[in-house]
Amino acid sequence: MKIGIPKALLYYYYYPLWKVLFEELGFEVVTTKNTAKELVNKGIKISVSDICVPIKIFNGHVLELLEQDVDYIFVPRMMNIRKGEYFCPKFMGLPDMVKYSLTDAKDMLLTPNISSNSDDISDVRNYLPMCGILGVSAFKMRSALKKARLSWKEYRSLSTKGYTAKEVLDAMESGIDIKKEPEGGFLNIGLMAYVYNLYDEFISMGIVDRLRERNISIQTFEMFNENVLDNQLKGMKKVLFWTFSNKLLAVGYKFLKDVNIDGIIHITAFGCGPDSLIGKIMELESIDYKKPFMTIRVDEHMGENHLQTRVEAFIDMIYRKKVMSIKEANIV
Amino acid sequence: MKVSFPYMGTTVIYKKLLELLGHEVIEPPVPSQRTIDLGVKNSPEFACYPLKIILGSYIEAIELGATTLVTSGGHGPCRAGFYGETHSRILKNMGYDIDLIVFDAYKRDIMGTIKNVRKIMNGNSLFYLWETLRIVYLMAKSMDKMEKKIQKLRAYEVCYGDCNRAWEKVQKVFNDIKNIEDVKKAKIKSKSILDDIKVIKIPEPEKIRVGIVGEIYVVMEKSINLKIEEILGNMGAEVERSQYISEWIDYNLLPIWISKPHELEILKKGEKYIKEIIGGHAKQTVGHIVDYAERGFDGVVHLMPFACLPELVSQSIIPAITNEYNIPVITLPIDEQTGLANVQTRIEAFLDLIKNKKRIRIA
Repeated sequence: MKIGIPKALLYYYYYPLWKVLFEELGFEVVTTKNTAKELVNKGIKISVSDICVPIKIFNGHVLELLEQDVDYIFVPRMMNIRKGEYFCPKFMGLPDMVKYSLTDAKDMLLTPNISSNSDDISDVRNYLPMCGILGVSAFKMRSALKKARLSWKEYRSLSTKGYTAKEVLDAMESGIDIKKEPEGGFLNIGLMAYVYNLYDEFISMGIVDRLRERNISIQTFEMFNENVLDNQLKGMKKVLFWTFSNKLLAVGYKFLKDVNIDGIIHITAFGCGPDSLIGKIMELESIDYKKPFMTIRVDEHMGENHLQTRVEAFIDMIYRKKVMSIKEANIV
Repeated sequence: MKVSFPYMGTTVIYKKLLELLGHEVIEPPVPSQRTIDLGVKNSPEFACYPLKIILGSYIEAIELGATTLVTSGGHGPCRAGFYGETHSRILKNMGYDIDLIVFDAYKRDIMGTIKNVRKIMNGNSLFYLWETLRIVYLMAKSMDKMEKKIQKLRAYEVCYGDCNRAWEKVQKVFNDIKNIEDVKKAKIKSKSILDDIKVIKIPEPEKIRVGIVGEIYVVMEKSINLKIEEILGNMGAEVERSQYISEWIDYNLLPIWISKPHELEILKKGEKYIKEIIGGHAKQTVGHIVDYAERGFDGVVHLMPFACLPELVSQSIIPAITNEYNIPVITLPIDEQTGLANVQTRIEAFLDLIKNKKRIRIA
């Protein structure tokens, strides 16, 4: 039996877990190719026009899986991974959206409710409802999840060493260890972006490579442990309702306080609700902290040039700022 | 302490609550183009529309002298729950020194709620607070009843604007309430006001009924949804909204076993399409569409602020419901582009389609 996992949204955070889980249960795991123009166009056609681009792309990937003859498509309903916090409403309604806008996929969806108290979502209770559909015993599910958890832990520990999610996923897929240590560049830039925006090269237009080419090292939220991030938000009276948005905000604060970070780039999708609030908070805070901050808003209209120009200008600016400050320090 | 509140729907009710508790109330002006401009100018660009309007109406209230703002919070997962925090940050940044009292879900923050209640109580006894709440609740109930009637009558009024004038009068009558007896008197008085409206008699099968569903703020506040109820009413359609303030109180503030809210039934009807409560009113929206279809409504207007997170989910699902129940639904995203002609044209075309469909069915 083939189980399809769309290469979109939380694929970039939980794929090692889900892949090992289904493989241990004895199924073949199929995923989609990287996002491409055609796939996006297909996704746009079946989505509501105002919805954000990652969801449109997700729909495109589900369509792609339908063409690949899979038996089931895994679309988990992400509820919460912290007590009192949730996912964005679009994640919580994602299975419903897919079910009713892609009628072909209606009977092929595996949609367990995922809720947990930490980022680790391998609690067996989340996956038990799938046992009946897939015809596996609860015991088997439990032992498969144990291995899956290890795989995910390894993925996270590699991430926290400073590798990008994409590098780690590629390494884990091919089985080759990452030998190259992440190099330190002249400039350090903090990227505030959800994994599914940053590592989908179609959405972010390869910004990670663009920055690295210019001898800039980058940091993102998934390179930090969850408790490091949770500590950042302790002073806030009421934190946001969305866990991943909280992570972004937390890492934003971390970047603001970190003297080694020279600038912050916030990459957000057009119409992203949670980001509209985070963006405003960061805009106000970055003035207080005197840290350069830029927002790049992307959607399905892919003009690479605007990104190139804006990133170049931003980098030139902070480069000059840094050179000046080094010179001043030397004179003194 | 001069108190004000966000402008939404029948504001007499909130005003009465604060007034009876002995506060000096500054009534925020009806949202106008200026309100919209003020809100839009000072809010994040991609924040949802209600956040911008409420900010605008806060600023106008502050200009009139308000020093304290009272509002309800939320428990997520949609952005509405974060309005309080965002508003107070923006207002502080603009240099206003105000006290923003946010009533969050009491289960989330019990101590905070008690503190807020004490501030609002203004030194009155608990018994007096209870009495006041009872008056306001009864008032909300009867005012909503009146409003529902007006929404039906407007389709058949002989003189254009009679219903609006009657509604103004009713609001004035309720504005003078001081105790429970007054509520009863106001009820009788406003009933007679409504009975005075001259209407055309139309045979039952020819009546057209349209439901309005969607996000609570754009559904309830007529000055920002381009007076959609009046547009529909003036074109000869009876209107019913999915949200009324008394129903909101029933569901959100009272224990469920006392109020037995209508909303629970609605949620059950939406269960098939959206399994979990995903924030905002997405599940209620789909539930209400099903409900209207079952009650034989002729069409539904779905309102949402542009890029509203939960309503986008319900918008994605609506085509499936339309197919299943054979009920026409039109979705109108609302934002600061207030082109009235566009909405009017679309609603007119929608009603034409409905009327045609109905004629074919009857024939």
